[in-house]
Amino acid sequence: MSETAVRLAAPIILVVALAAGILVDANARFEASATDRAAATRFDTVLDGLTPDSLVLVGFDADFGTYAEIRPSVRTLLADLLARDARLAFVSLTPEGRALALAERDRLMRLDPDLEADRIGDLGFLPGSEAALVTVARAIDGGAALGPPSDPVDLAETGLVLVVGGNDLGPRSWVEQVVPRIGPIPMVAVTPTILLPEVQPYLASGQLAALIATPIEGAAYRDDVAEATGGRLGELGGPSTLAVGFGLAIGIVWLLLALVRRMASSRPAREADRA
Amino acid sequence: MRRVTIPALVIVVGLLILVDLLIVNESLASVTTLVIDAVIVVAAGAALAAGGSLGLRRARDLWERRGDPIGAVAVLIGMALVLVAGLRPGASGVTDPAVGWLVVALMVPIGATLFALLFWTTLAAMRRSIAHRSREAVVMVIAAVVVLILLLPIGGPAGEPMANAASWILAVPIGAVFRGMLIGIAILAAVLAARTLLGVGSTDE
Repeated sequence: MSETAVRLAAPIILVVALAAGILVDANARFEASATDRAAATRFDTVLDGLTPDSLVLVGFDADFGTYAEIRPSVRTLLADLLARDARLAFVSLTPEGRALALAERDRLMRLDPDLEADRIGDLGFLPGSEAALVTVARAIDGGAALGPPSDPVDLAETGLVLVVGGNDLGPRSWVEQVVPRIGPIPMVAVTPTILLPEVQPYLASGQLAALIATPIEGAAYRDDVAEATGGRLGELGGPSTLAVGFGLAIGIVWLLLALVRRMASSRPAREADRA
Repeated sequence: MRRVTIPALVIVVGLLILVDLLIVNESLASVTTLVIDAVIVVAAGAALAAGGSLGLRRARDLWERRGDPIGAVAVLIGMALVLVAGLRPGASGVTDPAVGWLVVALMVPIGATLFALLFWTTLAAMRRSIAHRSREAVVMVIAAVVVLILLLPIGGPAGEPMANAASWILAVPIGAVFRGMLIGIAILAAVLAARTLLGVGSTDE
């Protein structure tokens, strides 16, 4: 097969395979599950400590590039928190995070039209990155309200801080700026795998109470939620494992073809050099 | 004069915030809040100025018929749509449902689509690197594929060793390299900051 044919065929095969993987009821037969449950258990323990009607401040600063990796876990987590009678208050410090937070908040309201607006408060977008985080921390510590003047949220009632991190602003900034200022209120985070090496020391030191940072930990947490709710919440936004597998397989085959071609073309060159 | 004023300002503000973190004093807290609010206002102003500058630049590109006219029109229409939706009479600004719809129904899917294409462009870049006979590229590709496979959430007998291997790879070799880079960057930033604060040389030397 010529290089041009491979170039043309590969994206088409990928799209068709992904569509087939999604269309086939993949999750029924190829369910993602995980054997490493330590992170999920730690996360559950922190959430179990929440009292009913607690306010959970959701620092939503995911980015478009990595959000797909953590989206299933974030959606399950938000639904889990609401099922535990927690109130959510979204705040974003990056424009991409604000857009994604708005989308998730809108999705929650569409899924449950009976959901009262004050259970998912919106503090909006705060410019100023670290400086804005200091303002948030002061509002939690000093019992001030933040958000639009028409619908402010009193952050004195915060019982948990949840950070949904991304490449632009993640748990590191929250731990540095907020944790020293808010006392014993626990902070948990969901981040893409790329941030794990940066965030792991904060988990070890206890500054982060719990963390979900890899697809394996996310799958374990979703399993736990599905088990605890009789499958009611675990199905939310789960990825199509078959489609992911197809995508990965096609990518690997495409790269292997390039590797084989390279080896095949370098052999005659080496033989010619020897001659 | 400029070289003295800016480092002095940085030292004063930095010390003020540090002291406020350590000592409980209402007056000090008020001053620190003022400084932090000023930083937020400056950041908001900078973001606004950047948006305005982008709009003006694209309008000028269009007027002078240079660059990418389709891109310029798309940017200007997008900005106009959001401004009209948020600022029209009776609208409630950023919380207006029309602004929300533009973000949720247009911006998020378009952004997600662009980044989904990154999967394919990354694969294409890897393939090109292999074709160019780069040994480093081959090692990188193999490492990336191995990590991707190990990170798949698979249960059963194969799942546990895979998860353990993924945890070890992330915590030890990748963690070591990543943290080494972070420590290096932090030391460099600290040295540069100290040089700037002490007025030793300039950053553009």
